[in-house]
Amino acid sequence: MSKKYTFYPGCSSQGSAAHLDRSLRAVLPKLEVQIEDIDDWNCCGASVGHIEGGFIPQSALSARNLAQAQTQGPQDVMTPCAACYLNTHATNERIRNDEGFKGKLNEALAVAGKSYDGSLHVRHACEVLVTDVGMDKVAAQVVNPLAGLKVAGYVGCQTVRPFANTDRGNHFDEYDRPKFLDDFTRAVGAEALDFENATSCCGGSVSVMSPDKTLHLMKKILDEAQAKEADVISTPCPLCQTNVEMYQQQINQKYGTNFNIPVVFYSQLMAVAYGMDPNKDAALNQQIIPADKLKGMAK
Amino acid sequence: MSERKTGVYLCSGCGIGEAVAMDELETVAVKEFKAPHCAQHAMLCGEEGVETIRADLAEGKVNQLVIGACSPRVMTDRFQFDNAQVIRANLRELVSWSHAPGDEDTQAAAADYVRMAITQASKTTAPEPWIEGEYSQRIMVVGGGSTGLMAAREAAEAGHEVLLVERSDRLGGHARGYAKVIPHRPPYRDPQPNDIEALIAAVENDPLITVKTNCHVTKTSGMPGKFQVELANGAGPSNETVGAIVVATGWRPYDPSKLGHLGYGVSPDVVTNVELEKILAAGQPKRPSNGQAPKAVAFIQCAGSRDPDHLPYCSSVCCASSIKQALQLVEADPECSTYIVYDELRTPGVAEEFYRSAQAKGVIFLKGKVKSVGANLTVVVDDALIGEEVPLEGLDMVVLATGMVPNTTIPDLPYENSEYAAAQLQADINPLSPIPVAGYQGEAPAPLPRPADNPPPGAPILNLQYRQGPHIPMLADGFSDSHYICFPYETRRTGIYTCGPVRRPMDMGEAAEDAAGAVMKAVQVVRNAAKGASVHPRSGDLSFPRIGYNTCTKCRRCTVECPFGAIDEDEKEYPVVNPTRCRRCGTCMGACPVRTISFDNYSVEMISSMIKAVEVPDEFEEKPRVLILACENDAYPALDMAGINRHTYSPHVRVIPVRCLGSVSLVWISTALESGYDGIVLMGCKPGDDYQCHFVKGSAMAKERMGKIADTLKSMALETERVAQMEVSIAESHKIGPMIDDYMATIDRIGLSPLKGF
Amino acid sequence: MTATSPTPRKKYDLNFARWVYENVDGGDRMAKCMQCGTCSGSCPIGDQMDYGPRKLFMMIRAGMKEAVLTSNTIWNCVSCYNCVVRCPRQVPVTYILHDLAALAVKEGYAEAKTADNARFAKAFWWSAQKWGRTDERLVTMKYYFSTGIGDGIKKGMANQKIAMAMVKTKRMHLTMPHKVKGTKELQAILAKAHEIEERGNNGQ
Repeated sequence: MSKKYTFYPGCSSQGSAAHLDRSLRAVLPKLEVQIEDIDDWNCCGASVGHIEGGFIPQSALSARNLAQAQTQGPQDVMTPCAACYLNTHATNERIRNDEGFKGKLNEALAVAGKSYDGSLHVRHACEVLVTDVGMDKVAAQVVNPLAGLKVAGYVGCQTVRPFANTDRGNHFDEYDRPKFLDDFTRAVGAEALDFENATSCCGGSVSVMSPDKTLHLMKKILDEAQAKEADVISTPCPLCQTNVEMYQQQINQKYGTNFNIPVVFYSQLMAVAYGMDPNKDAALNQQIIPADKLKGMAK
Repeated sequence: MSERKTGVYLCSGCGIGEAVAMDELETVAVKEFKAPHCAQHAMLCGEEGVETIRADLAEGKVNQLVIGACSPRVMTDRFQFDNAQVIRANLRELVSWSHAPGDEDTQAAAADYVRMAITQASKTTAPEPWIEGEYSQRIMVVGGGSTGLMAAREAAEAGHEVLLVERSDRLGGHARGYAKVIPHRPPYRDPQPNDIEALIAAVENDPLITVKTNCHVTKTSGMPGKFQVELANGAGPSNETVGAIVVATGWRPYDPSKLGHLGYGVSPDVVTNVELEKILAAGQPKRPSNGQAPKAVAFIQCAGSRDPDHLPYCSSVCCASSIKQALQLVEADPECSTYIVYDELRTPGVAEEFYRSAQAKGVIFLKGKVKSVGANLTVVVDDALIGEEVPLEGLDMVVLATGMVPNTTIPDLPYENSEYAAAQLQADINPLSPIPVAGYQGEAPAPLPRPADNPPPGAPILNLQYRQGPHIPMLADGFSDSHYICFPYETRRTGIYTCGPVRRPMDMGEAAEDAAGAVMKAVQVVRNAAKGASVHPRSGDLSFPRIGYNTCTKCRRCTVECPFGAIDEDEKEYPVVNPTRCRRCGTCMGACPVRTISFDNYSVEMISSMIKAVEVPDEFEEKPRVLILACENDAYPALDMAGINRHTYSPHVRVIPVRCLGSVSLVWISTALESGYDGIVLMGCKPGDDYQCHFVKGSAMAKERMGKIADTLKSMALETERVAQMEVSIAESHKIGPMIDDYMATIDRIGLSPLKGF
Repeated sequence: MTATSPTPRKKYDLNFARWVYENVDGGDRMAKCMQCGTCSGSCPIGDQMDYGPRKLFMMIRAGMKEAVLTSNTIWNCVSCYNCVVRCPRQVPVTYILHDLAALAVKEGYAEAKTADNARFAKAFWWSAQKWGRTDERLVTMKYYFSTGIGDGIKKGMANQKIAMAMVKTKRMHLTMPHKVKGTKELQAILAKAHEIEERGNNGQ
């Protein structure tokens, strides 16, 4: 039976994480997950918006999205982006628990004739797949098991922190040693490496602005992936994917390393394992570091 | 007892029958020992098995029982019969569960345990309790502060008459001066109203409680159930009889005049926490110097505590009490800034909630050492949290959080000097000399002067008329001694229980629980004493030491070494046992060089015979025998646990449970050596400053005595390794196997005993 | 956040700390910080901070306002939320650091040269407010040029390879920015929200 969600793709879906967007939209119908985008969604403010904008304006960004989503139905809001999930979820939770805050945001929304009552639930796409769809169903769609592909599951931070426990009361996963990503890897028939840096930070937005401060963080992640002979690093987080992939060259320059490890989204692995088109569906042509071994496995 | 008819019942259940040949064991009983009756059963503890025994008893076939089955520590309710003494041979935990089944060494062990049990049966009788004259059920509580008041009320609620003695002119103690107290009720976040007045009223109105104020104890003699107490008040001495005594004499603050380095005395606005209590109790807080409301107050924690030059210990309540006082200041004036300068903040248990609450309410906690306190009240702190030296300026008051000194003596009631009492205190508080132990080969100690002749400086609280001195034994820090983990309220004077801050520093909430605990012990002792029964750890034991005066040499070892001061000396210097003071550990028996102290069911001869009952293989068989004398409190249970966990160890050991290592007579060592045993192990509790011994000093005593036999062994040309003492706690069953096997390796190395076959 | 925060006169003058407790997002819980240091120990980038969060919180209590607001601690936070989930007193450390950064901007402490992030935040918010979405290319460019044209070209060159690769893989576009349809509406909401923010807690 198919289930419907209101979908919040986030800004990166139109840029750096276009391949997450493409591959996820390709596999969701196979799992009977229906999505409808939030009409005219806006940016969530990420982890820097509040600095210049301030706390209430930052929250107002999420409030506008939620207000819009509410007009589209009572179904849960689902987002594949870690930062979008964190911000929207945090704002939603606060609206629900703090009447004063809720009042302030509705006052702001009112200037555009909008309002939001706090009744929606905000969920991460991975959590929906784990909890609502279930790993059995994820595995059942596999027609092209990725046997022999060694995958380092790199979860990053904001997918599980601070909201590993969702507001639906579902226990999504652990803060420090989450297992859902490795479950995806195994579900598609690949080998999940024991990856200690699964939740080490890539530097997030600090890596975008001042990579010099954080290259060593990404190096640590890459070091382990290389030592464990990972064929690919898999991640659910748009910013993690971009940072860890695009800085490899700079890291090599700075530290004399020779990293060239493809970083893909879990949904790209699923698309390939589901026998879908490696470019049109799995969006593997959008890798800066080509995932050749994975691509070679595509049917 | 009429003619002894010992029936031997052997159980083959729980794997015993698979491990050993039951018929051979029956042969031991019937052929070797001519047991009048022997039976085997597949499950002796079952209804049918027990019924068999009952029927045999009813028929008069047997009147004493040897049960070869599981450990004597289990199935005690099943194997309990009216008018028949039960002796147990542990064939399960010590044999079939810890050694290879069907092996000849396993069989030999089982046979030896049957031999030992039948031998034991022949040397024991059911104990006749000591019951003589009247027993008082009244409980005396010394100290009318919050602890004593709680104790009095608890005792009265348990239905006992109470005599409450208070030195000052009114009840309530320190607590009477507190506006609010540290919370001990949920949610533990705010200073709690002080209910002391209600408690005083409840005690004063209780018909079971007699209150005597302006009164103190001048002399205490007798024993549980029969304490004779002499009291003094303005009206002159009076005498009372009580069954048990709860000591709740509390604490006094550390002398602040010694705290000049923390600014005490430089300004009237530097006060102690005790002085601040008075200010807070007087209403709106005011600075002593000018009567203005304080706007900024710093508390200095550990003022004179945890300081080797002052009080070396932590008083445990000062952190919570400063938090309380800071919150009271903030409550009175939300603008008041409060700083608690600490080295380590200690808020055990629910006090953590109180700490959190104070933080939420804006009390600032600074970690660091105080460098100086100036006359202008600037407190310079070496701030460990921001890593620099910080002057706290503009303070209105500085509060020194001073610690608690226990009232184990009465300092303001001088006693004439007594070397005797001083010697007792010295021995008590010096952890390196746990007790004056009489060397087995050396001279007995000279008799000490009697306490009545020479009392110590600072009056003892009860002025005990005991051979071992007038004080309740105390620890190095002055708090009264007790088995801290297992039996916190027990002092080393049976029937006398300390509680509250005289036992360890604590707040009123904890002291209330402590009082209840101590009263429960007092209730137990008065009730047991009247039945001639012991209190813990041999709770209910009816045996007591009997002294054979015809052979007693008045050596005084028993009177000196009893951990509980149970034995006095009469005017001819013969030992006199006060049976209800006795805890039945047998340390006196272990001390007696002429073996003239024994219990009805535990004696030097009984254990010696058991040792000799074991068949020691001759030197040509090359099979060692090692005797383990195992303390029944920890070591024997640990051996049982090893069996339950199926840990295996050498089958060449034979285990005999003893009441305490303190009861081990050196005769048993020599008997074992003469019988050809290759080694002897004393397995018991950890002695010393942080002892585990259930009888406090028993294992220390054993260690002391064993230290002295090394010379004896050498003089007999024996290796000192042949006698060893091992420490094992009840939780260390996993160590049993390796310990025994290591020792067997030692025996292997030094070779079999040369004394075999003598 | 209300008007300007007070400036302490001496060490452990509590006026700044009390203001932070009341006005900073999560400040009320910060009062419960017991200085265990779990946050600083959990921080992946703590060694590049002037002070770890633990010490920064104590400095707030000690009234060291200027040192706090000019420290790079508040800018170097990578928002990994390790400290938030590990804090035994449930202090929302990340949120507090974010809000302190906002305070530093507002009170003019962020103009210090080290505050790259302040300029990045400015560029980011510019995009979010103007277009309703984050246009990664424009944000990055605006950020690069925020310290002057020369510096911008230098930084841009350093990252040129990355940018080219992003363009090639269609993860960066060179056309008109992505934007929401209702930019006017969004800007009105944000303007109102800003007004509410300025009103502070007392204006509720």
